[in-house]
Amino acid sequence: MVDQAVGNGKGSPDRGYGRRSVRRGDRILSALFAGGLQGFCYLFLAVVVGLALELLWGSRLSLRTFGLGFLWSTQWNPVTNQFGAAPFIYGTIVSSTIALVLAAGIGVMAGVFLAEFAPRRLGVALGMLIELLAAVPSIVYGLWGLFVLAPIVSGWIGPALQAAFGFLPFFQGTIYGVNMLTAALILTLMILPTITAITRDLIAAMPMRFREAALALGATPWEMASKVVLPSVRRGIFGACMLAYGRALGETIATTMVIGNRPVISASLFAPGYTVASVIANEFTEATTNLYLSALIELGLILLVVSLIVIGIGRLMLRLFLR
Amino acid sequence: MISSLPKSYRTEADPLPTPAPDRTTAPTAELPIKAQLRSVGFYYEKFQALKNINLALHDRRVTAFIGPSGCGKSTLLRVLNRIYQLYPGQHATGEVLVDGENILAAGIDLNRLRARIGMVFQKPTPFPMSIYDNIAFGIRLYERLPKSELADRVESALQRAALWTEVKDKLKQSGLSLSGGQQQRLCIARAIAVQPEILLLDEPASALDPISTQRIEELIAELKGDYCIAIVTHNMQQAARSSDYTAFMYLGELVEFDETERIFTHPKERRTEDYITGRFG
Amino acid sequence: MIALSIPARRQLNSMLWTGASAFCAIGVAVVLLLIMGYVVREGLSALSLSFLTQLPRPVGVPGGGVANGIVGTLIVVGIAALMAFPVGIFVGIYLAVYSHRRMAKCLSYLADVLAGVPSIAIGIFAYTLLVAPFRHFSALSASFAFAVLMVPLVIRTTEGAVALVPRELREAATALGAMEYRVTGKVLLVAARPGIVTGLLLALARVTGETAPLLFTAFGSQFWELDPSKPMAELSLQIFTYAISPYRDWHEQAWGGALILIIAVFVLSVLARLSFLWRGGTGISGGTD
Repeated sequence: MVDQAVGNGKGSPDRGYGRRSVRRGDRILSALFAGGLQGFCYLFLAVVVGLALELLWGSRLSLRTFGLGFLWSTQWNPVTNQFGAAPFIYGTIVSSTIALVLAAGIGVMAGVFLAEFAPRRLGVALGMLIELLAAVPSIVYGLWGLFVLAPIVSGWIGPALQAAFGFLPFFQGTIYGVNMLTAALILTLMILPTITAITRDLIAAMPMRFREAALALGATPWEMASKVVLPSVRRGIFGACMLAYGRALGETIATTMVIGNRPVISASLFAPGYTVASVIANEFTEATTNLYLSALIELGLILLVVSLIVIGIGRLMLRLFLR
Repeated sequence: MISSLPKSYRTEADPLPTPAPDRTTAPTAELPIKAQLRSVGFYYEKFQALKNINLALHDRRVTAFIGPSGCGKSTLLRVLNRIYQLYPGQHATGEVLVDGENILAAGIDLNRLRARIGMVFQKPTPFPMSIYDNIAFGIRLYERLPKSELADRVESALQRAALWTEVKDKLKQSGLSLSGGQQQRLCIARAIAVQPEILLLDEPASALDPISTQRIEELIAELKGDYCIAIVTHNMQQAARSSDYTAFMYLGELVEFDETERIFTHPKERRTEDYITGRFG
Repeated sequence: MIALSIPARRQLNSMLWTGASAFCAIGVAVVLLLIMGYVVREGLSALSLSFLTQLPRPVGVPGGGVANGIVGTLIVVGIAALMAFPVGIFVGIYLAVYSHRRMAKCLSYLADVLAGVPSIAIGIFAYTLLVAPFRHFSALSASFAFAVLMVPLVIRTTEGAVALVPRELREAATALGAMEYRVTGKVLLVAARPGIVTGLLLALARVTGETAPLLFTAFGSQFWELDPSKPMAELSLQIFTYAISPYRDWHEQAWGGALILIIAVFVLSVLARLSFLWRGGTGISGGTD
């Protein structure tokens, strides 16, 4: 059956037609493909680098005018062209940090439950539910926060906290609906799914033998979870928290809708505040002067740098841990 | 880069037909040598996996490579079609002369080389396409055939691989829908459909159940005599039964290479004898 | 407190804490469900055919809808997908196939970095690049911002999907003499298709409903607009504008818009998960011998 000659070219010897054109078409496509790969890689590189450069370039006026003092100046006056980042940095950090503390506490507990104690079906269902809800756009959270949570805070949670802890400066003062506390609570809800899901995944990946060893020594289920499992995934959870923190720092719309948008630094959680992302969102299109715009862009730059550092730490921790 | 190549590997060449030798009567020793390996070495980064391999693959004969795990037999096979070039840090030294041309030289068109030296892997690897398209894939790369002729080629390849009767009614179904043994025969059919000059088989039956293994072995016995076949195998009985030449390798070296009958009855080297009689590995 | 023996007290402790963790997990799910339920309830009352098909009316005039916002979102996200998918897929393929190269390691790191950039910063980038030089807002600049948001996601999921394809498959295709573009196109990408599609859907879900960058790129509009070089209405922007306004009926419309958004995101997320299960990746043998 095989009657081809030995040492031949491809196919039957006299089947020469079509071969040349196949090869040329091949070469063009091959070059296109290689070119496309290279091209898109460079394009991506250009975009990322361009992002950093544009932000730097846009803030140069503000950087030159205000220098380092921008970071702690509390002035924000478009009329006199005096700008400072302090109120916004304060608002961002306070709201995000409170959110992180609350979300870490609740989220880790929830993650432990889902990975350790939940009956199989319930754990899977709850997990899927929480993951799906993580995809909800922030505008929806903001809407709910504005119309539902804010009244709850000003009507119930606020007065309750003031009654119980009013001696602390955090819980003093007039209780507005849109305030730092509401913003922190909304952020908590938004980053909870992240922390829960990652905690659950980290714990679920632990080999069974550690748990069995602890139980065999007579530990209660909770002791096994808190004294064996959690400590061994501690660094990974820290990484997850950093990631969530970065997300909270950059959150714009939901916070803008519930934080009150007033550039004041106040110890009271019931007072309105302002975050870096919110001021950019609210005032970008109103910036009348170049300096105004440049100050806003510089705020964007600060936000970018801080989020990148935080998220970078988080990712590093997770990567180190998973190795 | 390609201009200095002899005709057979250049892209615009017209091949010259030569008469087929009468394979039924020519004694083994008189068959032309298809591939000659000279001082072939291989490195995974700094680790030397092959040391100074010298042997010849005879045309239309089966050469089996045996040896304990890690001895380099698969590595050697992969040198022959330069598939290792997909991975950085792996490189080969020495010469491999196929029809007199060193395929390890710079400037060789790798795609064309691989079109003429076929390989079947240990794990069946059907492409995610129909059975028909799987076989036609290789043919379509280098030949523009009318539909009927393509269908004929596909059918004859499947028949030679002893798969035709099982799949002839479901050629449009995905190659992944076949069982493990069938998938491997599909891969063999795919390799022979392009009418290669050398066929490299890397433990083709080791990932299969015993019945499929047997069928693959029968298949190889049938294919022998039409192709220059190099087969790596862990199964010594298989090597003894179906090969004409056997190479015993150990720790990257070629310990002994001879006609199969002689190696299995009167091995020259102590190590060969130990391995064959099961004293190690 | 009665004196419990030590083991019993520890048991009680364990049960309490375990219960607390259950409370947290179920509580989180319940709260999130309640929020969604509230949105659905409020939004349903605003949903009507006219809501979906009409343009916004001036304040005080009853009725009106978000039709231009829905269309605008489709256009902006659609163009963004056209920009982001090729870049993301190609870079993802590059990262999977050439992972040893220095350029690949650099790009992989940058993709992770870009994934963490706040969307408002990306909005500023789109503004300085595509709005300021031309002195007007445009849907195109919004699409660009969305594309930048989507690309890291597509890169990571594509890279993951292609890297999962067994290397023997790539070797088998190469061993037949196929050139790289064919190996990638006809074998690698087809085998990785379910994972890639999942990634594309997830990327779409990510940007649908994203609002912050739109504030100074698409800017919004009261009218029908199909020209991407002009400012365009966007559903999430409309929700935002209505929500922070002092008008009651605009608040109701905001809920309606929010409902549409979460339905869209929900459908995309579910599709993404389904597309991965259906087809099941690279496939192993299916029949019997």
